[in-house]
Amino acid sequence: MRMSTRERARVNTLILLISAMTWMMLLVNPGSIMTLAHCPVTDAGASLVSFQMLLAMNPISSLTAGWALMLVAMMSPTLMAPIHHIRERSFKRRRARSVTLFVIGYAAIWMAAGGVLMAAMLLLSLLAPQSYLPAVVVGSIAFVWQCSPVKQRCLNRGHNHSELAAFGIAADLDALRFGITHGVWCVGSCWALMLFPMLLQQGHFAAMAVVTFVMTGERLEPPGTLSWRLRYPGKLMRMMVAQARIRLHRLPSGIRPSLR
Amino acid sequence: MMATFTRKNAWNNGGTFDNPDLLWYAKGVGVTQSLGLDNPNSWWFFAAIHGEYVNPNTPWYTDPPAFPDWGFIPAPPQVPTTPLPSQTLQGLYWDQCQHQSWYFAPWHRGYLLALEAQIRAAVVSLGGPADWALPYWNYFGPDDEYEIPPAFTQKTLPDGTTPNPLYVEARYGPRSDFNIFVPIPPVAETCEGNTIYTGSDAVTPAPGFGGPDTGFSHSGDTSGNLESNPHNQVHVYVGGNAPDNNTWGLMSDPGIAALDPIFYLHHSNIDRMWAAWNAIGNGNPTDTNWLNGPAAIGEREFAMPLPDGTSWVYTPADVNSLDQLDYTYDDLTAAVSPQPFNRLARRLNKLSAAPAAAGTAPGGNMAGGDDAELVGAHDGALQIKSSGARATVRLDSGVRGRVSASLANASETNLPDHVYLKLENVRGTRDSYILNVSVNQQRAGSVSLFGLRRASLKDGQHGGAGLTYVLDITNIIDNLFLDHALNADALDVRIVPHNAVPDSEEITVGRVSIYRQGHQ
Repeated sequence: MRMSTRERARVNTLILLISAMTWMMLLVNPGSIMTLAHCPVTDAGASLVSFQMLLAMNPISSLTAGWALMLVAMMSPTLMAPIHHIRERSFKRRRARSVTLFVIGYAAIWMAAGGVLMAAMLLLSLLAPQSYLPAVVVGSIAFVWQCSPVKQRCLNRGHNHSELAAFGIAADLDALRFGITHGVWCVGSCWALMLFPMLLQQGHFAAMAVVTFVMTGERLEPPGTLSWRLRYPGKLMRMMVAQARIRLHRLPSGIRPSLR
Repeated sequence: MMATFTRKNAWNNGGTFDNPDLLWYAKGVGVTQSLGLDNPNSWWFFAAIHGEYVNPNTPWYTDPPAFPDWGFIPAPPQVPTTPLPSQTLQGLYWDQCQHQSWYFAPWHRGYLLALEAQIRAAVVSLGGPADWALPYWNYFGPDDEYEIPPAFTQKTLPDGTTPNPLYVEARYGPRSDFNIFVPIPPVAETCEGNTIYTGSDAVTPAPGFGGPDTGFSHSGDTSGNLESNPHNQVHVYVGGNAPDNNTWGLMSDPGIAALDPIFYLHHSNIDRMWAAWNAIGNGNPTDTNWLNGPAAIGEREFAMPLPDGTSWVYTPADVNSLDQLDYTYDDLTAAVSPQPFNRLARRLNKLSAAPAAAGTAPGGNMAGGDDAELVGAHDGALQIKSSGARATVRLDSGVRGRVSASLANASETNLPDHVYLKLENVRGTRDSYILNVSVNQQRAGSVSLFGLRRASLKDGQHGGAGLTYVLDITNIIDNLFLDHALNADALDVRIVPHNAVPDSEEITVGRVSIYRQGHQ
């Protein structure tokens, strides 16, 4: 039983508002949490001293806060469908609780993945400080991953919205489990895309915006065949054009040749 | 203005080859069956437009290859598996069928028109009538019309030697004995009494006559009322299971259904029911996302090959009414009785509430109104075997109380709740079953598993989530309420398949749940 159109729109608006507000915070960049600070010591190359200086200038707490904000800003638009699923399958009084548990499970997976990705970012920054080389290497890996059947498998699994228990601890565990499972497939799908903007010296926010568009768009695509092919958010782009033309009353109706 | 083409009852002249519409249909099918799989005008290509198991590079092709892959279908017909058309042609046309969506009716209308144009071209090439039109099989008709027209069961044409293209081996019927008929009931035309296309009101159960708005993600898992019954049920009853129960009939599975010529007569009747529903004043959606079709949400357009080699790209707006398409039916009588306000009044009377006055609107459109609310559920998956399955659906006392209050306070201005039973995340390896469902020993209805196999594949269109079925159990809940039995903590739900389920098959129901929906 789908939620009413009005209820779905309300939930979607709330999710987009949360994402937009987080984007604003990221753009303000409080405490420079979104950019990796360097100095002559860290620029000197890989060494224990450089590493210690890098951590001193970029505390783990700041990195973690920046990563968490990135997740909220970039990932929340991709969570509309699973959140609708949880709300539809839960008692009204439990909806907020179940969605919260889902988000906790999902975020836990992404925060754990963030530890690995941030370590990779620091390591690459030490090996090639102030260089675009790490971004080029990771961007290339992201492109290959984007075209791979493994990526499609992860995307397909993200469409599997399974049954959820309704009562008691079983309902809580199912919501948490759904968040964890969804998070695992999401990390599998997006890890390289998320790492790429973190390695850019400039254009960080523009790259994040593009990646967000790609990740949101590919969730709208239906599950597909496992194969090597270029994956891009074609549906989202076509939809935006079509919706714009509809509002301008320019979408042509189908060409109707004679059926006789 | 008179329409050029009129679709007539296949049971005219006894449903035999004395009916010229059927004789020419058979000959036209024969011509298109003589064309290759890679020819967009061929019978095989058109079947693949609906769905196919012939391209090995799809998630729904069996691994290792086996039935229902097209190479394993018992003849007749002798189904070709090569040569495959180009990837471009496959991407443009194949595997288009729209199910569990509000696009179900308009996509199939265009599909029928295109197939009809192909057959008509073949008929004309054989010297047949230029105004030939596809007949319909109205299984709700009088006398023996619930049976398949006899022309489909003859192995040869009237000349006694030419194989009859309308005859297929893998058509087994409800009892797996090649006796093809549609059992009425449970197959019913009650959806004709709905008053809205998408959503629900006091006399229209969710998700509405034509199916749910599948939104920008196009991720529906629930059939509309026309699609659910009769469409899905007729598919499974006609196709059925083979007598040895190892395979199933063509009509039972969307990837092989359109290989059977009876498919198009069944859909002609479904299309007729949609037109009849419109003819009594019910409107189609006016939402631009429906009118413009999936192209409005960035998905591929509806496209059909025409006999002259061109491609017809169409939208629901293009097939919104028969008038704009120059064809009609010889009978557009809808089976609707009594009128909506009478049905509402009858329910209010039953609940001892003040009856609705004549002309009272049957409630708002819930697609844009109240949210449905979970009342109770059976936590844990059920496995459906031949003996069926039983679930104790526990009710939340607070929400159950709101249902009771709604029924107790029902009036013309305070419409009582609708209550639904849902079978969620149903998954399986075979489509050819009907599940009969009862609640507290009262019959709740039945669901057809048409489309289940594909929906259960992890890399298929539904990501392995399966399908969800909705049954309107409002009447049962009303009865429990009137019997002062709605204060129970749980409901007893039984699910029994209409045919034996072999041990090799798996059918599971992820969760059984109960929902309420208000109508304010």
